[in-house]
Amino acid sequence: MRTLRNAVALLTIAATTAGAEEVKKSLLEPSYGLMVWTLFIFAILVFILSKYAFGPITAAVEAREKALEDAIESARRDREEAAKLLAEHRAALDASRGEAQKLIADARVAAERVAAEMIEKAHADQAQQLVRARQEIETEKAKAISELRREAVDLAIAGAGKVIEKNLDQAGNRQLVESFLASVTANAVATSR
Amino acid sequence: MKTSSLLKSAALVLALFGASARAAAQEPVRAEPSANVAAEHASPCEEYAPDDIVSPHITDSHCLELPSFPRFWVPHEVPLPRWEPIVVGGISFDMSPTRHVVMLLLASTLVCLTLILAARSHRRHTSMIGRPKGFSNGIEAMVLYIRQEVALPNLGHHGEGYVPFILTLFWFILFANLLGLIPYGSTATGNIAVTGTLAIITFFMVEIAGIRANGIGYLNTIFYWNKELPVGVREFMFLLMTPVEIIGKFSKPFALAIRLFANMTAGHIVVLGMISLIFAFKNIWIVPAPLLMATAIMVLELFVSFLQAFIFALLASVFIGTIRAHH
Repeated sequence: MRTLRNAVALLTIAATTAGAEEVKKSLLEPSYGLMVWTLFIFAILVFILSKYAFGPITAAVEAREKALEDAIESARRDREEAAKLLAEHRAALDASRGEAQKLIADARVAAERVAAEMIEKAHADQAQQLVRARQEIETEKAKAISELRREAVDLAIAGAGKVIEKNLDQAGNRQLVESFLASVTANAVATSR
Repeated sequence: MKTSSLLKSAALVLALFGASARAAAQEPVRAEPSANVAAEHASPCEEYAPDDIVSPHITDSHCLELPSFPRFWVPHEVPLPRWEPIVVGGISFDMSPTRHVVMLLLASTLVCLTLILAARSHRRHTSMIGRPKGFSNGIEAMVLYIRQEVALPNLGHHGEGYVPFILTLFWFILFANLLGLIPYGSTATGNIAVTGTLAIITFFMVEIAGIRANGIGYLNTIFYWNKELPVGVREFMFLLMTPVEIIGKFSKPFALAIRLFANMTAGHIVVLGMISLIFAFKNIWIVPAPLLMATAIMVLELFVSFLQAFIFALLASVFIGTIRAHH
């Protein structure tokens, strides 16, 4: 309670002293001189600062922003170009790879064809040679037969000559044997065929 | 017991805002230099009650406080020149430079130095390595933030012409705020004349922006004439809404001025109140607590300095944008 009374008393003192002060010097009473000073100082400050400080700073910042935007733009362009180039290269690579595959396949097909042809040709040659050999054999055989026949005829004639020499004339007998041998040969050839 | 002592200290703080005689009767035990100097040594230029430690810190003065050595807690007071007031149209303009004028000049010089040097090194770095670095990069970040995130979205289309004004508002108020936080400094933005002038400049910028954007349609921002309403209602609404529109035009800059002024002044009063607790308790062991609280408030003040500069710039761009988009 005493504290409260003290407080009230102090507040009263404060109020009275504050009131007394106000008469002498008011905080809310503007000095016109200072107002004019403030106006001048502020006006000059606006002029100087906008010309020598804010102007250059803003200009520099805008220049930098523009440079940055340009750099970003050119980087974007470069990246797009690089992507395009990459795609092109990839396509070219794919194309050449396909071409190589095709070449290999073609070569394989060609090689197979060549091999097949060679085998076929070998087969054909072989068959041809076989036929030729067979023909030669036939010819030789025929030649041998006719040779043999002539030998046989000679031998027979010689033999018969020796036999008939004694009793028969050469010519009449020879004709007889010839005709006989002819019939024999014809028969032999017919049976062998 | 605990609650009653708390109540007592709260009452004491309130009392000290008016600077009670009880507080100043005691020699300060230990306090920040900017807090005790005025109480000990009333300025020869400005007459304050010997117990008034708050007013010298939040009001303007015709004296400049400079550091003195070795007794740095007693500032060297330099009287500024006094000129004859110029009377124009019955109003007397006392153009003598005051402490706040010096602070404004200092703030604008520092802003110019900071921003122009930053712009130069910005350009140098940009031409050398294609981007700014270090301090100029930080300045660029703040300038760009205000420009891209605060000014341009609120100003609307083709609002680039108003961006330097918004940026200047922000930087000027920020530096003036911060100058009030350093020793021997003074908060020019805690002066209603300064914030009022800035608000009046903003008011004219808003109206000029409205005229430029809407042409003759600017009159619609003053006179409420809605053609979609039926004839009788239209006149009634005209009479009702026109004063509201006009009051709205003036209340916005008024709020701007009061907001900045009050925020800047209040923080300093709270810090001084904290320091005054030491004298009120008359006890050396209490010293760490008010000092800690005052330090915390100073950190808050640092934040508020940025915040209020930001809010002033933001609201100025919102007002300009609103009137430009008015149909």
